[in-house]
Amino acid sequence: MDINMTFATQEIWTWWIAVYLYLGGLGAATLVVTFLTDMYLKPHRDLVLWGAFSGIVMLGLGSLMLFIHLLDHRAVLNVLNPLVLIRHPHAWIAWGTQFIIWMMWWGLFYALPYMIDSPQLNRIPLLRRLLKAGFIAKLSGRCCLRFHKTIGWLATINGIGVAVYTGLLLQSFPAVALWHNPGVPLLFTVSAFSTAMAFLLLILGIVIKREEDRPIRVFYERTDVMLIAAELVILFSFFHYMSAGSESAMHSAKLLWSDMGWLIGFIGFGLIVPFFLELRCVLRGSRGHAPVMLAAVLVLFGGYLLRHYFLAAGVYAFPW
Amino acid sequence: MTRYAMVIDLNTCVGCNACMAACAMENQTPVWKNEWRTYVHDQEIGTGEDVLRRFFPRLCNHCDNPPCLSVCPTGATYKLDNGIVKVDEDLCMGCRACAMACPYDARMEVTWDDVEKGKAFYGSDYRRERPSMDKCTFCDHRVEKGQKPACVETCVGSARMFGDLHDPNDPVAQLVASGVARPLLPHLGTKPNIYYIGDVKRRG
Repeated sequence: MDINMTFATQEIWTWWIAVYLYLGGLGAATLVVTFLTDMYLKPHRDLVLWGAFSGIVMLGLGSLMLFIHLLDHRAVLNVLNPLVLIRHPHAWIAWGTQFIIWMMWWGLFYALPYMIDSPQLNRIPLLRRLLKAGFIAKLSGRCCLRFHKTIGWLATINGIGVAVYTGLLLQSFPAVALWHNPGVPLLFTVSAFSTAMAFLLLILGIVIKREEDRPIRVFYERTDVMLIAAELVILFSFFHYMSAGSESAMHSAKLLWSDMGWLIGFIGFGLIVPFFLELRCVLRGSRGHAPVMLAAVLVLFGGYLLRHYFLAAGVYAFPW
Repeated sequence: MTRYAMVIDLNTCVGCNACMAACAMENQTPVWKNEWRTYVHDQEIGTGEDVLRRFFPRLCNHCDNPPCLSVCPTGATYKLDNGIVKVDEDLCMGCRACAMACPYDARMEVTWDDVEKGKAFYGSDYRRERPSMDKCTFCDHRVEKGQKPACVETCVGSARMFGDLHDPNDPVAQLVASGVARPLLPHLGTKPNIYYIGDVKRRG
């Protein structure tokens, strides 16, 4: 049959889902990196508290973006029940929702012993009363402290699950070549951890500000340089994958690679500039915090742009 | 076991849009925002004086391997044994993942606002109580009673044929088996159950 093809982008999932994917990946990866640092690099109460709080807030805000735009908010109960994974194991949103919920719980449980010991948190009257409550102390001592590493690893597994999920969700839409390929989960996972490193560099550099944390900062800078390099390699592969093959992919390539927001905003200022700023600090040592802080802000900005443009550039090939 | 399918003959579709109207009235769709369960595209094919006008009806393809079903997190999208893909409006939370997954642009949203407008537009007969994603059901409530879907029943050019793929004596099954009627985007692996008889070569 001779058919005319029509190529169209979608306006169903726009910036608010990009924010959901961005904050989901960033929040989960922040919790993972924080807990792994605390478990294996250097025990660090303040980093755990800041990482856990901001990670949980980001996961909550991200989920709120999805929730607000549901057609029927009451029906969300159908996906909050963990049994949804048995009933609909093929639906990535079901997995993502469960990963996010459990990630928040494990994050809270991991941080709880540090919260009880924190002088800053104990200065807040209501919170102090809550943290001194008997059942909280029991929960912290008998469960959270006793199984601290187990909880840390459960959070890590859930966090990696959330980061991978943000890519798998797009991969599950077969009509759009840009999304329906195994590179998307990989790209989104690498980006999630890169933005988490950037976020934690900001926390260490602006909020915590301790000279003895320098080894952690250097480790994050080095890791972020490698993650940005990996992201650039994956994007280069995407460029070649999209340049030939299906019409859907070629139309997406045309949209992305002719857009200044993508080219200069994301690739330029979101990846290449922070890569060289951080690489310079890694090779020559940092002269002050400013270059790394600037690089971190740019990486965070680029992380959102990646998801925004990926959603906007998905092209459907309709056979009419 | 019955496997319902539809064959659409592009040679006999005259673009009267009666199918759209019949479907809208039968299924109470939100026509006020130009959303339809079935839609007829009006196209011009060719250049210069050699131009054909083609009417291209489209609807949910009731795929054997529906991507809208596999991405649905609440189980609101489900498939009957006879192959009809449906949405349970009580289970649907309206995340729109099904609309993103559908290669045939066959999903539309019905919001709270549409429910209110529906009550005013369709009057006391209006059946919907909650918002959800919406799609063609092959008029399964009519099919259960031995009737054809509203779009098939109303088609003046008999461009739409509805039948059982598992019945070798059914004309729809015979057209599909002969290879004259072919599905859209078969390479995606969705195994659609809407088949089209092409028009351009015959007219040429």
